[in-house]
Amino acid sequence: MSSELPDGWTDDTLTHAKWAEAVRVGTLLGQRCRSCDHVVATPKSVCVDCTGRELSTIELPTTGTVYSETTIEVTPVGQDDRYQVAIVDLGETRVLGQISGDVEIDDEVSLSGHVEYEGMPGPTFSPVE
Amino acid sequence: MSRASIVGAGMTTFGSHGAVALHELFAQAALPALDDAGVSQADVDALYLGNTSAAVSENDTHLGPKAAAQIGLTGVPTQRFEDACATSAMATKHAVHAIEAGIHDVVLVGGVERCTPQSGLSTPEMTKVFASAASRQYEQPVGLTFPGVFALMTKRHMHEYGTTKEHLADVAVKNHYHGSLNPRAQHGEEITRETVFEGPLIADPFHLYDCCPFSDGASAIVLVSDEYADSFDQPVDINGIGHASGGVPLAEQASVTMTQAARDAAGQAYDQADLTAEDVDFCEVHDCFTGAEILATEAVGLFEDGDGGPAASEGRTRLGGEVPVNPSGGLKAKGHPIGATGTAQLVELTDQLRGEAGDRQVDSPSVGLAHNLGGEAATTVVTLMEARA
Ligand SMILES: [Zn+2]
Repeated sequence: MSSELPDGWTDDTLTHAKWAEAVRVGTLLGQRCRSCDHVVATPKSVCVDCTGRELSTIELPTTGTVYSETTIEVTPVGQDDRYQVAIVDLGETRVLGQISGDVEIDDEVSLSGHVEYEGMPGPTFSPVE
Repeated sequence: MSRASIVGAGMTTFGSHGAVALHELFAQAALPALDDAGVSQADVDALYLGNTSAAVSENDTHLGPKAAAQIGLTGVPTQRFEDACATSAMATKHAVHAIEAGIHDVVLVGGVERCTPQSGLSTPEMTKVFASAASRQYEQPVGLTFPGVFALMTKRHMHEYGTTKEHLADVAVKNHYHGSLNPRAQHGEEITRETVFEGPLIADPFHLYDCCPFSDGASAIVLVSDEYADSFDQPVDINGIGHASGGVPLAEQASVTMTQAARDAAGQAYDQADLTAEDVDFCEVHDCFTGAEILATEAVGLFEDGDGGPAASEGRTRLGGEVPVNPSGGLKAKGHPIGATGTAQLVELTDQLRGEAGDRQVDSPSVGLAHNLGGEAATTVVTLMEARA
């Protein structure tokens, strides 16, 4: 039946809409594979490591270290004129965020809010003093 | 035996082409390619066309039949490909497969794009169009741009391997020198390290001259079967064409410096052609940013990981060096009209392998490699070509 969910999926399966809702209230949701423990920071329909269908929605750590960063000086229409972005290493996975403040690789950062663009949120991180 | 052979090649100059329509611009590359091959429209079995952005930037879609009608190919099967910056390499790959499968004997393959401000969009607007290849949900809201994508990769490479801003600048200096020898290049002027360092920052570590320009342009090749190629003058053989994809979003790639899809695509191409990286005499790689060239030369196996930057600074990748990289000037100096870049690389390989590259001719090459990357290295096509003995 086309109205049924694929094997292993439940109404709790993480989607972008649920992920976005969580970012807006200061939480990072991800998925952990129940077969191989692989963790991702953005929702997938199967485990990208083992293709397992049973994925638990988990709360990811909200602190991590900067894996790479750059300050974007020529920005798309609709965005601010200048901002820093970073790939943040959360231990078992990584996530992209905008930076409030100024960071370098290996600096410690924590989730501090979010930006909005065309109806979608992106996480914001700040340096941990 | 080749997988398919190029018997005709043509391209426009890259740069600003003003108010020209896409199908008119494509004709300026396609007709010279047909003439170079000495084939008429009646000989062409299909048109495989690449264009990346016109649906978004110009409200212009269904470009295959439009381009076919412009050049007298109405009636032939035609299709349009979009895989970010790897668009026309993708068209080529599919044409090779169709020829190899015996579906077509002669295919016109090419790409066309308009990206300069004269095409109607401002820099912030075109920056947004380019960013459409990044994750809509997890990267665009954060404000990631394509200079930003490659800046993140390059900064990590600098952190892990000690690559320096001088290494990056030397890639730009080299490619501008090569571009100064190429009459089709958008940037014909030579530059110095200081030119790079004094330019405005785009996304650190990239200054303006670390980045390819916005370009208009078109390129085309005539591809034929191995058997049919013998009846042409100077066929150049495609002996390997590999293609792989990598993960999106960038943050979840196991390594952002490896460009794993390029390694996988190169491995396939080397296996098909029964060649290794040591056999490569020169290459055209996807240097959308200086750091991207360094990552590419490592990914296709020319240098060990971490040695790409020093190799550029030591002149090993310059014309006259051990393996010239981007003798055309690359995307950096020749220009990067997105959907035209993949086949433009193959036009350069054809010119070089025929010994017709003029002032930028590589010394008697027998094997050339092209590396065309799309998105955050999430698509890569690697092609190996050899002159027919
Ligand atoms: Zn798994």
